[in-house]
Amino acid sequence: MLPLPRPDATLFLASSVHDMKNSISVLLANLQSMLAQAGPEHSGIYQEMAQMLYETQRINGNLIHLLTLYKLGNDLYPFRLETYEMKQFAETVTSRLLALFKTRNLGLEVDVPEEVYWEFDGDLVDGILVHAMNNAANYTHSRIALSIQPAEGALEFRVEDDGDGFPQRMLDEGVAAMRGVDFSTGSTGLGLYFAAVAARMHRSHKEEGSIRLENGGRLGGGCFILRLP
Amino acid sequence: MNIEMRDGGSDFFAASKFLIVDDFQGMRSMLATVLRNCGANPRSIDSAATGSEAVALLRRNRYDVVLCDFNLGPGQNGMQILEEARFRQLIGPGCCWIMVTAEKTNDVFMSAAEVQPDAYLVKPVTESILSGRIQKILARKEAFVEIDQAIAARDYQKAVRLCDERAASDKANAIELLRVKCELLMQSGQTDKARASYEKALSVREVPWAQLGLAKTCVMAGALEEARSLLETLVDHQRTYLEAYDVLAQVYVALGEMDRAESILERALSLSPNSHVRQRTMGELALRTGKLDRAESAFRKTLSLSEHSARKTPDAYLGLAKTVSSKANPGEALQLLEQMGKTFDSEAVRLKAKSVQGLVYQQNGQPEKARAVARELVGLIEQGDAGLDSTVTREVAELLLSTGEQEKGLALLQAEVMNNPEDAAALALVREVFRKTGLADEGDELVERSRQEAMEMMNAGTLLARDGHYVEAVTKMREALLRMPRNVRLLFNSAHVMLAHMEKNGADAALLQEVRTHLLTANQLAPGESRFAVLMSKLEAFGKV
Repeated sequence: MLPLPRPDATLFLASSVHDMKNSISVLLANLQSMLAQAGPEHSGIYQEMAQMLYETQRINGNLIHLLTLYKLGNDLYPFRLETYEMKQFAETVTSRLLALFKTRNLGLEVDVPEEVYWEFDGDLVDGILVHAMNNAANYTHSRIALSIQPAEGALEFRVEDDGDGFPQRMLDEGVAAMRGVDFSTGSTGLGLYFAAVAARMHRSHKEEGSIRLENGGRLGGGCFILRLP
Repeated sequence: MNIEMRDGGSDFFAASKFLIVDDFQGMRSMLATVLRNCGANPRSIDSAATGSEAVALLRRNRYDVVLCDFNLGPGQNGMQILEEARFRQLIGPGCCWIMVTAEKTNDVFMSAAEVQPDAYLVKPVTESILSGRIQKILARKEAFVEIDQAIAARDYQKAVRLCDERAASDKANAIELLRVKCELLMQSGQTDKARASYEKALSVREVPWAQLGLAKTCVMAGALEEARSLLETLVDHQRTYLEAYDVLAQVYVALGEMDRAESILERALSLSPNSHVRQRTMGELALRTGKLDRAESAFRKTLSLSEHSARKTPDAYLGLAKTVSSKANPGEALQLLEQMGKTFDSEAVRLKAKSVQGLVYQQNGQPEKARAVARELVGLIEQGDAGLDSTVTREVAELLLSTGEQEKGLALLQAEVMNNPEDAAALALVREVFRKTGLADEGDELVERSRQEAMEMMNAGTLLARDGHYVEAVTKMREALLRMPRNVRLLFNSAHVMLAHMEKNGADAALLQEVRTHLLTANQLAPGESRFAVLMSKLEAFGKV
C-alpha cells in the first residue's frame, strides 16, 4: 500500500474559486432581480431575501479576496494601473451596494469633487471599498458616507458610518495589517489583510498605498481610510 | 459614435446593436437583462454560445457592442474570436469589444497589442458598471479618431502633435495619449524624443509601461546593459508584466546570454503558457542552443495553441520540422512541411519549405537529394528577385555550403552581411552558419571584409552629397544599391541624397519614382522608421509643386 495521501487543496484553490465565482455571479443577479420584482410589500420574504443578498455578496467578496491574494502570492495577479474619473468610479462602487442599502433602509452620501482623475488598479480598489462599505452596513445605525479627496499628492478614500465605531481590537488590527505581522497567529480578518496588501501594491517614488481605521469622522462612527500615492 | 451618452447613456443603448457571447445560458440571459435595463432594445440583442456561432453572427451583422466571455470551453476562446473578428474586419473601429471574465487573469492580458479588447470586466457585471465602461470607451475612441487617421496615413508627426494637443485638455485620456505618443515616437524611430517623454511620464508616476518604454529606448540606442538593469528591476517589481519578460529575453539574446534568455522565457511561460508567439520564441531559442527536446515541446504547443488563431504563421511548422529532423526523424519533418504547404500557399513559404527540406535530407544521410534541392533553390533565387528574408537566406546558404555549392553559399552570406552591416545580431547569426559548416575562420574574415566594404560604399555617396556633388553622389548610391538592395540605411540615404539633388537641380519624374520605390522597400524591410515618414512627406511635397 502507498503511504496515506497528504492532500494539497491549494492546487484546486484557484480553479474551484473561479468556478464558484461564476455561480455566485448568477446567484447575485437573480437575487437582485427577484428583490426588485418582490418589492417591500411582501415584507417577510423581502427581508429574508435581503439577508440572502447580503450573505451572497459577502461570499463573493471573500472569494475575490482569497483568489486575488492567492494570485498575488504566486505572481499570477495582473496588476494594471488605469485612469479613473472619481465620480464615475464612486458610482460603480456604490452600485454594487445599492440593493443592500435599500433593503436595510440605509442612507448613502457620496462626496466626490468634480474632475478628479487618478491612476490605480480599479479591481483591487473596488474590492477594498466594496468590502469596507459592506462591513459598514453591518455596524452603522442609519447612514454611510463614501468620500474621495486628493490630499498632499495622494488620494484618500473614506468610508464612514454613524455607528458606535470600531472596538479597540479592530483599531489595533488595522495597524497590524499594515505592519504585515504574522497572520497565522493573529486574528486579523481576511478583508483587512486583503485591503492592506492591495493598498501596498500601489507604489510610486518610494511611497506606497496604505489603509487605516479611525473613529469619529464626519458621521461620528467608524472610518475606514484608504490612501493611494 | 455620433450618439452622445446622456442620462447614463440610454440613447446609446436604445440605438445600438449588441452581441453576447457566453457558453453559459444563465450568464447570457443575465447579461441580456443588464443590457435591457440599460435601455437596449431586446430585438437588438443577439447571443452566441460558441466561437463559431459568434463568428457567424459577426459576419452577418454589424454590432456596436460585443460582450464576450473569455473562457468558452473547448474551441475558440474570447481572445481568438476578437482576433478573428479584427483580422477579417467583421467589426469596425467604432465597435466596443468588452471581454468579460470570471476573474482577473494573466491569460486575458497576454495577447498582442493589436488584439486588445476595449475593456475587461470582471463578473458580476451590473448596469452601472457596464454603462460607465461603455461611456469611458466611447470617450477614448473619440479622443483617438483623428490620431488614428493620422497613423493610418503614416503621418506620425501629425499624430504626435495631435496627442500633445488633446492631452492638454482631455484629463480622462491624458495618460493614454501620452503612452500612445511615446509609442509613436518609438515606432517612427525618434528614440531620443521617446526617451524624454518616457522620463517625463516617470517623473509623475512610476508606471510600468513607461519603465518598459525607457528600457526599449536603451535597446534601440544599443545601451544593452542599461536596458538589462532597468528590465531586471521591472520584472522583479511587476512580476506579471509579461511583455517586460519578452523584451528582457531579447536583450539577453543580444548580449549572447542564452541561458538567461531561456530561463526568463520559461518564467514567463510558467505564468502564462497560452501565448503561441512566446511558445514559438522559446522553440526557436531552444533550437538555436541545441536543446532539441525543449524546442520540440515548445513548437508542438505553439501549433496546438495557434490552431484556432486567425494570425498563425508558418514559422512553428518550420521550427518543428527542423527540430524533429535534428532528432533523426526525417519522415515527420517532411510530413510537417507538406502539411504547412497546404495551410500556407505563397511563393515565400514554398521557398522556406524547400530550404528546410534540403536541410532535412542533408541531416539524415541523403546528400544526393539535398544537393538536388540546393540546385533547385539556386535556380529559384537566380530566376527572379525572390525577396529572400534573412532567415531563408541563411538557411539556403547553409544548405549550399554543406552540399558543396561553396561559391553560391558564400555569395548569399556576403549579401546578407552587406545588407545588414550595422546589425550585430544579424552578423552573429551569419557567423553561426559559418561555424556550423566548418568555415569559422574564413567566415569571420569574410564577415569583417564585407561589412567594411559595405560601410565604405555607403559612406562614399553620402560624403559626395555633403560636398555638394549631387550628380556623382546619386551615381555612387545607385552602384551601392546594386550590391546591397536590402540595406535599409542605404535605401534611406539614397532617397535623401536624390531628394536633395532635386531640391537643388529641379524635380525629375523618373527620379521621383525611384525615390518612392526605395522608400517603400525600406519601409517593407523595417516598418515604421522615422526617416520613412520624414522622407515620404518631402517626396509628397515635390508632387504638389
